Amino acid sequence: MGQNNPVVYGKAIQAALQAVVTPVPVYAAFNRNFATQPKFITWLLRNVHQDVYTGPNQNNKGIDRPIFQVSIFTQQIEDGFTISNQILQSLHGYSGLFGGSPNGIYVSKVDVMWLYNSYDNEEKLAQVFLDCQLDIPT
Amino acid sequence: MALPNKVLPGFSASLYAQPTSTPTPLTTAQLSLVASVSPIAVSGNILNVEAVPAFGQDDAMANFSVAGSRQSDKIPTQSAPTSMTVTAAWNPSDAGLLLMRGDAYNGTVDRTFVIAATDGTNIVYYAFNGRVSQFTIDAQPGAEAKCVFTIHPRGNQYGWSNNA
Repeated sequence: MGQNNPVVYGKAIQAALQAVVTPVPVYAAFNRNFATQPKFITWLLRNVHQDVYTGPNQNNKGIDRPIFQVSIFTQQIEDGFTISNQILQSLHGYSGLFGGSPNGIYVSKVDVMWLYNSYDNEEKLAQVFLDCQLDIPT
Repeated sequence: MALPNKVLPGFSASLYAQPTSTPTPLTTAQLSLVASVSPIAVSGNILNVEAVPAFGQDDAMANFSVAGSRQSDKIPTQSAPTSMTVTAAWNPSDAGLLLMRGDAYNGTVDRTFVIAATDGTNIVYYAFNGRVSQFTIDAQPGAEAKCVFTIHPRGNQYGWSNNA
């Protein structure tokens, strides 16, 4: 039960989101250059952590439950809600190969929390934010 | 090397179990001998538990009171080593946990367990013979599945040693 590799998580998340929202582009971080596109989503990964248990044995750890936040940017507010629903229907409660072949990883559960929507007047972009928690057995 | 002479972090205690499904537990004298105990405390015998629970001796005393006497008296009696309820992250193929499952199923296997607490250099050992009981799997969502079992030590069969 060594600590899982975040690179593997990142590739799986990118692949999973692309498969769900295609043809909407998916990016690993926000960049103002993308702001001209009518629809796109970005994600960021946080809280990668396996509980560490007693004793000097470094492999004595629990499972990892990282969270990736998905930010949906659209010029039309309704488009953002529609994309968020696509993600909810595909991923909330999902169990199995996350991200598909070849970059997917097996997850025992995905839990999606629809956080909130917003609007950025400067960019003229509507936004929806989701938190997706993965239960990754090790 | 001597007995650790500092306050130890509880984080660095680990639990070991004698291997094989039919172990020969140490004798009471051997349980206090580092030469007998330390060969059990090797990485191949480790039980990957979440935390090592309280270990040592239970409380045991007889309470006497005599009518007309002003105070009662509490007389300590020979107290048994304490039972330990242990939680481990559940890997169904983990060899150590399978041994515990087998012991609980059998119910009469006496096995030597060793707890090693270390400051990183010196080690103090607490060894005891015990049987496993109440082996349960707690598969609540929100964390890894837990394997919980209780080790009941046999009376008088424990000892302390260190790597001095």
